[in-house]
Amino acid sequence: MKVPEYIASGILESYVTGAVSDQERREVECMSAIYPDIKQELDELAIALERYTDQFSVEPPESVKEKLLAQLDFSASERPDAVVRAMPIDRTEGGGSLSFQTTWVVAASVGLLLLIFSVFLLSRLRNNQQTIGTLRDANSSLQAEAGQLRNRQSQDEQILALLRQPETRNISLAGNENAPNGKLTVFWNASTRQVAVDVQSLPALPANQQYQLWSLVDGKPVDAGVFESNEVNAGVQLMNRAIGRADVFAVTIEKRGGSLTPTLSTLLATGQVNS
Amino acid sequence: MKRQSSTVSESVLLEKLRQRDQQAFQWLYDQYSAALYGVVLRIVRDDEQAQDLLQDIFVKIWKNLDNYDPNKGRLFTWLLNIARNTSIDAIRARKAQPNTTIRTDDETVHIVDRQHNTEQPNSDYIGMQDMVNQLRPDRKQLIDLVYFGGYTHEEAAQELDMPLGTVKTRIRAALQELKQLFK
Repeated sequence: MKVPEYIASGILESYVTGAVSDQERREVECMSAIYPDIKQELDELAIALERYTDQFSVEPPESVKEKLLAQLDFSASERPDAVVRAMPIDRTEGGGSLSFQTTWVVAASVGLLLLIFSVFLLSRLRNNQQTIGTLRDANSSLQAEAGQLRNRQSQDEQILALLRQPETRNISLAGNENAPNGKLTVFWNASTRQVAVDVQSLPALPANQQYQLWSLVDGKPVDAGVFESNEVNAGVQLMNRAIGRADVFAVTIEKRGGSLTPTLSTLLATGQVNS
Repeated sequence: MKRQSSTVSESVLLEKLRQRDQQAFQWLYDQYSAALYGVVLRIVRDDEQAQDLLQDIFVKIWKNLDNYDPNKGRLFTWLLNIARNTSIDAIRARKAQPNTTIRTDDETVHIVDRQHNTEQPNSDYIGMQDMVNQLRPDRKQLIDLVYFGGYTHEEAAQELDMPLGTVKTRIRAALQELKQLFK
């Protein structure tokens, strides 16, 4: 708002006649401190009102002055609060103690609210921390599962690649008297030297034992890797040994991790490679 | 009694008043008591109460001297405001007193009526001069209602049964007219 508009708005007239709110009063005082034109208009209005009220002047009786001179204490050391005590009714003190009480009530209320809010926040924090813990556990187990699945998938892809190749042969191995119902299939590709085992039925083994596959070349056994029975690990298992030649495949039970030479007493299945 | 601002400059007066100088206080009283008493009488319309109030007002002035800031306004205006506010508070308190025999509404009307009739000569207290009578009556009525009656613009609009906008316009016109009259 421009200064002339502000002057014309009527707010200054309201101010000098006392018909303004506290906020408006502060605004006018602020504006008049900034703009000399507003200050001048305000002064002129104040002077007009002063002269207007001057018209109604009435001399008060001399007694008022005498009482005042007796009541007021004229000495340099006098503090204004001494005059406060001389007042018949002291509003400021009553108001003071009231607002003092109010201040305490407000302060206590604010404090209580803050306390309640803090407790609320703390419980929220604990809940959130619990949730985060649960989510972290779930996340790590999912990651582990995903890792297993990824491994399984790459293994399956290798197996599938092996099975797709036309040179891959499958050799059925049947159980002997050690495993009358034993039955498994060996997939073998002589050119890529890859071997895989598909267990259809083999007895379950204790945890410290594993099945081991051997390829017999000219009657000599060659380690073709260890594998689990189908109850533990279903599906086709790719062996981690390369086999270039084989006349016969055989399975023995060995200690976990496999042996360098087959334990013949535990031989339970054999299968002839038909060339 | 006429104020002679040339005799003592206001800042020197204030300085002495703040030192609680008795002569300075007497000077202040002699300069302003008649104007302030006129205002109080105009508001409370009772000699005895007006004298008590005038005494209270000067005690208040004495007590609050340190709060007066010459940069914010003129000394006389500041004194007038203390006198006006104290007197308006007093008549409001009188109206609010429960043991009064007159019903509050009646008294309100009574007081307002007297304020409305300010253009009629009120020889008891007020030596009105020609200048005041030059002011248009409807404008004078509004100034008296707001300035001496302590009415807000809204209350004045309700009292005079006119739109708030008209009240605001007339108050501004009245003050501008006063400004011209006393130039």
